[in-house]
Amino acid sequence: MAGKLTPNIPTGQEPVPFWRDGRVLGVIAQIAFVIGLALVAWWFINNIAANIVNLGSSQFVCDDGSSSYRCAYDFMSADAQFDIAETIVDYTPADSYWRALGVAALNTIKVTVLGIVLTTILGTLVGIARLSQNWLVSNVAKWYVDFFRNTPLVLQLIFIYFSFILILLPGIKEAIHPLGLPIFISQRGLNFAWPVYLPSFATWLAFLVLGLIQAQVLWMILGRREEQTGHDSNRVAWVIVSFVLVAGLGWFVASNDHSQGVLVNKSIRVRQFGDFEQLIISRLPVGKLSDIDRAITDGRLTQDAVDEASVKVCVLRDSASEANFTAQLRSLGVPYSVQRFSRQDQVTEAYTAGECEAYVGSTAVLAAERDVLEDSGAHLLVSVHETPMRLSLPRLEGFNFVGGAKMTAEFTAILIGLVLNTGASVAEIVRAGIQSVSKGQSEAAKALGLSESQRLRLVVLPQALRVIIPPLTSQYLNLAKNSTLAQAVAYPDFWTISYTTINQSGRALQLMLLVMAAYLSLSLAISALLNWYNRKAAIVER
Amino acid sequence: MQTILHSFKLLAPKPGKMHFNWRQFVAENLTGSWLMSLWLIVLTAVVGNYAFTQLLAAPVTTSLVLVVWVLTVLMTIMAELQKEHTRLTLWLKGNLYSSITNVQISLLLVLLILSAVRGFYGYAWVNASFSTDPVPAAYESTIEDVLVKDGVDLSRMPAGLPFERITMRNAAGTSTRQTSYLLSEDKSVVTVTTTNIYTGATWGAVGDNLANLFIFRFKAPELIGRIWLSLGLLAVLIVPSFVIYRQERFKRSIVRRVLNWAWFLSPLVLYALLRGVIETPGTILTIVNPDVVWGGFLLSVIIAVFAIVVSFPLGVLLALGRRSTIPGIPAWVTYPLAAVACIWLLFTSTPEMVATSRSTFSTVISYWPLLLPVLAYLFQRSFNGNVVAAFSTVFIEVWRGVPFITVLFMAIILFPIFLPQGMEVLNTIRVLVGTALFSAAYLAENVRGGLQAIPKGQYEAADSLGIGTFNKYRLIIMPQALRLVIPAIVGQFIGLFKDTSLVFLVGLFDLLAVANTISSQPNWLGIRTEPYIVLMLIYFICSSGMAWYSRRLEKQLGVGER
Repeated sequence: MAGKLTPNIPTGQEPVPFWRDGRVLGVIAQIAFVIGLALVAWWFINNIAANIVNLGSSQFVCDDGSSSYRCAYDFMSADAQFDIAETIVDYTPADSYWRALGVAALNTIKVTVLGIVLTTILGTLVGIARLSQNWLVSNVAKWYVDFFRNTPLVLQLIFIYFSFILILLPGIKEAIHPLGLPIFISQRGLNFAWPVYLPSFATWLAFLVLGLIQAQVLWMILGRREEQTGHDSNRVAWVIVSFVLVAGLGWFVASNDHSQGVLVNKSIRVRQFGDFEQLIISRLPVGKLSDIDRAITDGRLTQDAVDEASVKVCVLRDSASEANFTAQLRSLGVPYSVQRFSRQDQVTEAYTAGECEAYVGSTAVLAAERDVLEDSGAHLLVSVHETPMRLSLPRLEGFNFVGGAKMTAEFTAILIGLVLNTGASVAEIVRAGIQSVSKGQSEAAKALGLSESQRLRLVVLPQALRVIIPPLTSQYLNLAKNSTLAQAVAYPDFWTISYTTINQSGRALQLMLLVMAAYLSLSLAISALLNWYNRKAAIVER
Repeated sequence: MQTILHSFKLLAPKPGKMHFNWRQFVAENLTGSWLMSLWLIVLTAVVGNYAFTQLLAAPVTTSLVLVVWVLTVLMTIMAELQKEHTRLTLWLKGNLYSSITNVQISLLLVLLILSAVRGFYGYAWVNASFSTDPVPAAYESTIEDVLVKDGVDLSRMPAGLPFERITMRNAAGTSTRQTSYLLSEDKSVVTVTTTNIYTGATWGAVGDNLANLFIFRFKAPELIGRIWLSLGLLAVLIVPSFVIYRQERFKRSIVRRVLNWAWFLSPLVLYALLRGVIETPGTILTIVNPDVVWGGFLLSVIIAVFAIVVSFPLGVLLALGRRSTIPGIPAWVTYPLAAVACIWLLFTSTPEMVATSRSTFSTVISYWPLLLPVLAYLFQRSFNGNVVAAFSTVFIEVWRGVPFITVLFMAIILFPIFLPQGMEVLNTIRVLVGTALFSAAYLAENVRGGLQAIPKGQYEAADSLGIGTFNKYRLIIMPQALRLVIPAIVGQFIGLFKDTSLVFLVGLFDLLAVANTISSQPNWLGIRTEPYIVLMLIYFICSSGMAWYSRRLEKQLGVGER
């Protein structure tokens, strides 16, 4: 082509006037915007400053009595003076506001993480149910989704808490005990069995790690052989068997640790653990321990008499030794009663005073405590068999359950409410995701001879995930933010405790800033995590 | 009917026509894998067990269901064997009885649904009391009967209310109520025990508070008229709207323009009716205090409508701001400014702060000016120095990142701190403003979605016409973008409407707050479930109604058909 292409600039015409030039206008608009923003900000700051003067300098008082903006958060080191009903780590009203808020933040994280896990499970199940061939199943799933998406979350929470947990569920004495499992459901929440760890758990843990490593190595070796020979060597089964073997060996080795003991007076003639059986038989008119129940039903014995004869145990509160000791007493059939104390010296005192006859704890502690006793020669330290882990079972004592783990009614309410509500939205997302994978993909997978599970796992789900993850992220964020509704059922989450702190200290400005920063970071953390996962799940385009 | 009769005929076997491979059937449906066998065993046990318990609990309905189930299953099997389906059996085969598992699950679900319906029907209708008179309605014997029987002189009874009332639930489902009265003369206490014969709901508690739930927080008869006027006004506007905005022949008509103006002016009239304009008390338009008077459903609707209407222009501006590409502050201005500010503050602010700090944390905080260059870098990198985009983005993300409750409390607690001294703003207004700003951030994201969906060609075509930026957005981009996001905005409005139930936490009297007060009214102590059920119904009907309308609108506008 001859000649050069030149832009057709109309020469001789007037240039574009500056008030019609987009770039100039943009700059002017921007400068105006900055000035406007600055003016508004200046007005707000002026007002805030004036109002704060009005509120008094007490808002920003320092330790030395002076007042400065720098000391805005100094009050947080003072004693909180309120109790928190439910904590993961230790907390007393004498702790600082900082610690109170930290404890509450842990509560929020607990409900958020558990909620996200359960929501994902529920949402996936319901989403699949909505695509079920069964007309009834898909319709029930649809009703569930419609109901929970069209009513406010806070109403659902309040309904679950006040109308369901507090009215429909029985009191703690008549707690529901389904199928004989160690689970108790009552107005006060959920009590269930939970493992406690004894010192020998460390040994077992080492074996578990070892087992995992050898399982991984075995997996790789068998995998390589499979690739070479082309024969299926059933490696899943082999790996599981070898891991179970190592774990079992570890359990056996760790159980030979003798760190647990019981201190008894020589006068009750208990030389080894099995002698507790003889002790009870000598106290009750029965030949065998298994006769006790029959004797009570026959009327030969009263429950009071059995309680009287039971082994009185003293132990430190929340110690694993108790679970270890009582589990073995139960398997022997020995009746027992436990007294718990919050400090070691209180236990020793109770034991010396004769309030109990068996002082349970770790051997080292018991030996040291025996030496303190005046008549240390009169006491015998009996070794108690231990396993790395014991299931601590909930037992009703008085008006409370002792042992096991507990979910309070408030926590149960907020967790169930969040999971049911968010689960409905997640179900819709999962359904849309699965429907977005074209039918041809499934048919192609079938044509290749993949099994049903392989088809779902390798073909449908990876493609559906691409569509599912972005909206799922926003649902997780919603769940995290909605956990603030815990205030409606008085679960001590971060927001509820912050609000208590505002009311108690009167520092609204500082705490609101803190709350906003905290929830913004929580939101950012969740979305960063899921964006990272999304990048992994996204299609790799060529 | 015909098809059902025909299906029955299928039950009679025609031996010649049946071909069935038992071995293949067992291998495919029962022993295919051990997991399948286990699942079938567990399912059969569960279904059998549940059917048995239901048979004991409700013999008639359950046996009816079982008979129908057996008959239809047999029909389907025979139809399948004889390769001769009727419409009924074909549907059953496809939707309820497609496999052995589905045959059982269908029965289980039908039984479960029936028992749930039976339970709720018993609670809400059969065993429920409907009278709004608390004592005679709900209790076997009235208090007067008991008192006369016990020989208490009724003239000594106070006219007022009981001072204590304890309700205890019995195992049989009935409840016993102990009501204590303080006698007027000698201050002695009379306790009356009555037994509730209704084991179900006490709908009277809701009926008694219906006016509170729906209209005003306090009974104010002279104000009810204004509510009816407002509702009438809305009806007068809405009914012709359905005709005028639908039909093509009104497109350029004066009627439509008048209606437009009426809609634009209606908020003012509604404000005058609901809030009042005249200071002097006793007139029809006397100013009322919304904190005291607005409540119930009215308040929820006011908050939701106000927030969505106000947030609409704000949201559109924010969305445009976030997408704006106007040239920003150049890097050669930003970086030196940030550097100078950083160094200056490091020398003026930091030493003082380090000197007074008592922990490592506050020492680290003292070096905050070092953040300025980082912020400047982020500002340049993410926004190219565009202040408008930066402000819009930060505004949107901050509001979207914090929970709605904190926004409400911020509005209540922090609002006064931001305003000049002496400027008092009512709580209701604070909540309205907070909700509107919160909703604007979400709306901005919806609108931005619509803007992003408009193909680039539309922008370029508008530019080539040379009609200017304002007209480009007004005439070409916005009409298309907004049409795309109408369903999303309706969805947001539904969410907002549901979220208004949170305002009871900051002390406003919406539906939920009224429901909560019922349980502490002397006549209806402890009654919570019934009002909550009614509330759920209200919210469900409104929300699903709007969702249904949104879906219809979507179809009408043809969103997603391009």
